[in-house]
Amino acid sequence: MDGIQRTSVSTPVIGASRARARLKDADTFPKILIANARDFTGRPASREKDLGIWQTWTWSQVLGETKALAAGLSALGARRGDKIAIVGDNRPRLYWTMCAAQAIGCVPVPVYQDAVAAEMGFVIDNAGARFAIAEDQEQVDKLLQIKDAHPGLETIIFEDGRGMRHYAQPFLLSFAKVQENGRDLLARDPGFFEREVAQGKGGDVAVMLYTSGTTGQPKGVVLSHSNVLVTALNSVELEKLTEAEETLAYLPMAWVGDHIFSFGQSYVAGFCVGCPESGATVMTDLRELGPTYFFAPPRIWENILTTVMIRMEDAGWIKRSLFKRFMDLAKRVGPALLDRKPVGVVDRLLYKLGDLLIYAPLRNTLGFSRIRLAYTAGEAIGPDIFDFYRSLGVNVKQLYGMTEAAVFICIQPDGEVRPDTVGPPAPEVEVKIVESGEVLFRSPGVFQAYYKNEKATSESKTADGWVKTGDAGFFDADGHLRIIDRAKDVGKLADGSLFAPKYIENKLKFFPYIREAVAFGADRDFVAVFINIDLAAVGNWAERQGIVYGGYQELAGRTEVYDLIRDCVEQVNRDLSRETTLVGSQIKRFLILHKELDADDGELTRTRKVRRNFVQDRYEPLVNGLFSGSERAHIETEVTFEDGRKGRVKADLAIAEAERYPLDQLKKAS
Amino acid sequence: MLYSIFVDPFVQMVELPDLLVQVLWEGVVAGVLYALIALGFVLIFKASGVFNFAQGIMVVFAALSLVGLHENGVPAPLALVLTVAIMYALAWSIERIVLRPLVNQPDIILFMATFGISYLLIGLGEFIFGGQPKMMITDQLMLPRGAIDLQILGGRVTVQKLDIAAAVIAGMMVALLAVFFRSTRVGLALRAVADSHKAALSVGISLNHIWVVVWFTAGLVALVTGIMWGARSDVSFALQIIALKALPVLILGGFTSVPGAIVGGLIIGVGEKLGEFYWGPLVGGGIESWLAYLIALVFLLFRPQGLFGEKIIERI
Amino acid sequence: MAASGERRIGDVVLKVENISLAFGGVRALNDVSFDIRAHEIRAIIGPNGAGKSSMLNVINGFYHPQQGRITFKDIARENFGPYDAASRGIARTFQNIALFKGMSTLDNIMTGRLLKMKVPFFWQLLRYGPAMREEVEHRRFVEGIIEFLEIQAIRKVPVGRLPYGLQKRVELGRALAMEPDLLLLDEPMAGMNVEEKEDMCRFILDINDEFGTTIALIEHDMSVVMDLSDRVVVLDYGRKIADGTPEEVRSNREVIDAYLGVRH
Repeated sequence: MDGIQRTSVSTPVIGASRARARLKDADTFPKILIANARDFTGRPASREKDLGIWQTWTWSQVLGETKALAAGLSALGARRGDKIAIVGDNRPRLYWTMCAAQAIGCVPVPVYQDAVAAEMGFVIDNAGARFAIAEDQEQVDKLLQIKDAHPGLETIIFEDGRGMRHYAQPFLLSFAKVQENGRDLLARDPGFFEREVAQGKGGDVAVMLYTSGTTGQPKGVVLSHSNVLVTALNSVELEKLTEAEETLAYLPMAWVGDHIFSFGQSYVAGFCVGCPESGATVMTDLRELGPTYFFAPPRIWENILTTVMIRMEDAGWIKRSLFKRFMDLAKRVGPALLDRKPVGVVDRLLYKLGDLLIYAPLRNTLGFSRIRLAYTAGEAIGPDIFDFYRSLGVNVKQLYGMTEAAVFICIQPDGEVRPDTVGPPAPEVEVKIVESGEVLFRSPGVFQAYYKNEKATSESKTADGWVKTGDAGFFDADGHLRIIDRAKDVGKLADGSLFAPKYIENKLKFFPYIREAVAFGADRDFVAVFINIDLAAVGNWAERQGIVYGGYQELAGRTEVYDLIRDCVEQVNRDLSRETTLVGSQIKRFLILHKELDADDGELTRTRKVRRNFVQDRYEPLVNGLFSGSERAHIETEVTFEDGRKGRVKADLAIAEAERYPLDQLKKAS
Repeated sequence: MLYSIFVDPFVQMVELPDLLVQVLWEGVVAGVLYALIALGFVLIFKASGVFNFAQGIMVVFAALSLVGLHENGVPAPLALVLTVAIMYALAWSIERIVLRPLVNQPDIILFMATFGISYLLIGLGEFIFGGQPKMMITDQLMLPRGAIDLQILGGRVTVQKLDIAAAVIAGMMVALLAVFFRSTRVGLALRAVADSHKAALSVGISLNHIWVVVWFTAGLVALVTGIMWGARSDVSFALQIIALKALPVLILGGFTSVPGAIVGGLIIGVGEKLGEFYWGPLVGGGIESWLAYLIALVFLLFRPQGLFGEKIIERI
Repeated sequence: MAASGERRIGDVVLKVENISLAFGGVRALNDVSFDIRAHEIRAIIGPNGAGKSSMLNVINGFYHPQQGRITFKDIARENFGPYDAASRGIARTFQNIALFKGMSTLDNIMTGRLLKMKVPFFWQLLRYGPAMREEVEHRRFVEGIIEFLEIQAIRKVPVGRLPYGLQKRVELGRALAMEPDLLLLDEPMAGMNVEEKEDMCRFILDINDEFGTTIALIEHDMSVVMDLSDRVVVLDYGRKIADGTPEEVRSNREVIDAYLGVRH
């Protein structure tokens, strides 16, 4: 095998789990709901805080509500195949609407609740929604704005009527009214719901989720009941989720993750989904509910950590030093304990003590005291943040997924959790990496099509069912997938081996001393990088070393600093040498830039992303120096000062060599 | 010398733990009573911003009324009820005659007015019940007498039943006050008034009514304190000087904090007894009369708002 | 969209007649008369020092005017205190916020219910029977306000720690908890950013619309006044110089000279 194209198939699920046995006759979500009302009659299904008190609905109550709603929608004239837009924050009634729509063969289309009217209009129009269910006045107002332009939208149903007493439009109906109509219909025709549900098949369209995409208009991803059901079932089995889980649904309902976690898995496993009181109360609600299963993107994990840190800064010195001491211990032994690896007796006891004094109270204030499983996904999470939670005993794992896969492509199994991989393929998922480095997958979750977009569908989905993810990645020695970059940004060295600049740069940037890095190597013989040091961190280090410096430029030019950075670079090289795919893209030469890359000079975007081509052009003499073999390079550039004046900066920079390592076979063998 | 200050007392504590327990217990009992007096101060200070100089006198006045009524042939239970009524009448009159006319005057004026109240009460008490010390009607109030000897730590600790009763009653009093503050509408109104007069007025809280309530509550606390102190010594106006002990307690605990008054009281009580017993002999005794002030002074240097005093959080 | 025409303005609720107020030699109000009708939003405007806040303070009993008469809900009283005003259905907020800073949002709003609590406090002490029922009932009411004002997230936070805009909202909540017949708002939008102002406007309109509460407000922001109010009283140097609909007032010569001409 040449190491470029590999296929990995996970072990099939062995034995039939309880969920699988329980749901063997159910191939659609309405059928599952009926099964849940039978199997979990009195168990909680939905929660919502109303007037400060948590209200709970059991599965049988949810079935009742859903029945009334489904019949009500039907009474309004909803026919099989109709699209029903759902607009609002996470609310139990909106989740019930999904299933109610499915029950009568309609397709729920959740819309991002923060979308502006025009965006909403696009989705409503593209999907051809005849009905929309909106949470409140805010959403209704947006829908009213677009209604004239999209006459296909016939009826708007609202959940919370506050502020709308004077809305007299005949096509506006309250949720309660629709359910009332439905109950009337059910009174006349008690078998209506079951009859409608029985018509549904696993292959029917279950939901349409619009992905924003980086460019162009959103695309409606069409998922069938089987898509959602099988992935949900597989993941429920893998993670051993049961009806006893408790979760909090706070991410947009239009996002595939929420659809799987708060709808798909909840129905399949039978667990309860809580809805926060409002967007602002999520942290409080989290603490009150104490979920056992939780998802958050890296941004939120980071925010929570920042709040903890700020609070600790304000704490008394005793608390602060205890916190620091025990967090150091936790970092050392916490993750190992979580992975059930051997840990010394003393450390084990100390960790117990720390748990009593620090970790458990901290988990409690964060609402993580009962947490059994947590996910992060979407983008790379900083190893420090990741380790912080794991060291506290919160089992955070990475997963890799996308709307087109009904989420799951890869999941890190317990005991194999690392900050820099996304894990091996999820159950029943095949993943292969094609020659360009792009990751492809094939699974039961593969979407049906992009709605009304044949072209995009065929571009992304091959005839034999493989889907292009658009991400570049590789399998590491343990069979874990590592995502390195968007596929279009990945290049090749002159010898044809993979060159993933962002991956290398991110690795460098994880060092506190390095603020920014720019890697070059496309069509070159080796990889070379520009480094921006972090003035605060390196300055701090320099002070401790007794190094005197006058400013950024002087500090950046010190040989001691070059040595410091060389250590970092060689550390990255060692990491790279462990991967067959990346062993060739170790850094050979680097230099430390004499000035910080700056958005005012056009070197960074306003969101602080490096504009690679611009930097390459602007510092061409330096790039040439890196690849020419000379030991110094000269540059003269124009800069913008803080006060807006412009000036020219001349500099003579040293170019340093870093050691590169052969492929680390030892690690590979283990 | 240094040895006898820094080492010897601790050696004694370790060698004779039963003695230490005895001293600590005495300290706790004294502390509880200090705390009760401080509590009276805190209640009034919180609600009206007045430092009530007359709190000590109210203790004596309450005890005196109770004993005096009984001496004049009123049965004890009825005397107790009547004394409660007297304290209510007192609170009502103070509100009517002193506070209401002085509303919106500077704090110092109100403080001076409480001086007036205290001398008025002394005069009134002596006029009605006479000036000589009286015995507290301990038995008639069914307070226990005698002592319990406990065998612990290889020695014997003597505990007065009355002291136990004092501690229990004080504890109940505090618990009752806590519930009163937290879950009754009067308590909520009290907290509101303590926080902002203007806002309290705007939601229709009657300041006059609240003042009567706090002065009455402080009067009840004074009555309980008076019974307990009186039972330990006797009832006379000499008792009022113990009210001065409340000052260091307040400094320690903060003028506005109920838990602060309790913890402060206990610290002062225990500190005094320990100081007197272990270090007192070094200076020939008498530490008890000034140690509390010393502790308070040291404390003032490091935490002027008191142990539980509110750090005022304001946004600009 | 909200058809405000449906809101029916009722009879006169509050009538202020010939009010004069002086502090020492300084005249704050000079023979001012106007009325407020049920369900309307009535604005009191005027340059700084025109006597607007004094007028509110007179209405809710903080100040006792030397002359004049106030008739509220058909009962005329020459002098009444804040307690009387509150118990008869007048609630207010303050220009500089007067909250109970050490207490939580919930407790602050709960104080607005104090006048409605009827169970003897002895029962409350025992947390028993009717007391519990009453507490639950009031708590539910307060939670309704919390939801209405969208301040669920700060329910348990001591209000001293809240940012200014939220404090204003809590103060409004406390006034609402009194279920007032007349709600006095003293510069409800002072010191707020645009977004906070928009929220506050929405709340004021919603309160007026949903609960039919009569509102008298002092406001500096002219555009807000013109949008919100049904009728406007203009004060200048303690005198009333105009009274009428926003359009009438806007075109009044004296008002333009006294107020609109002087840009703030």
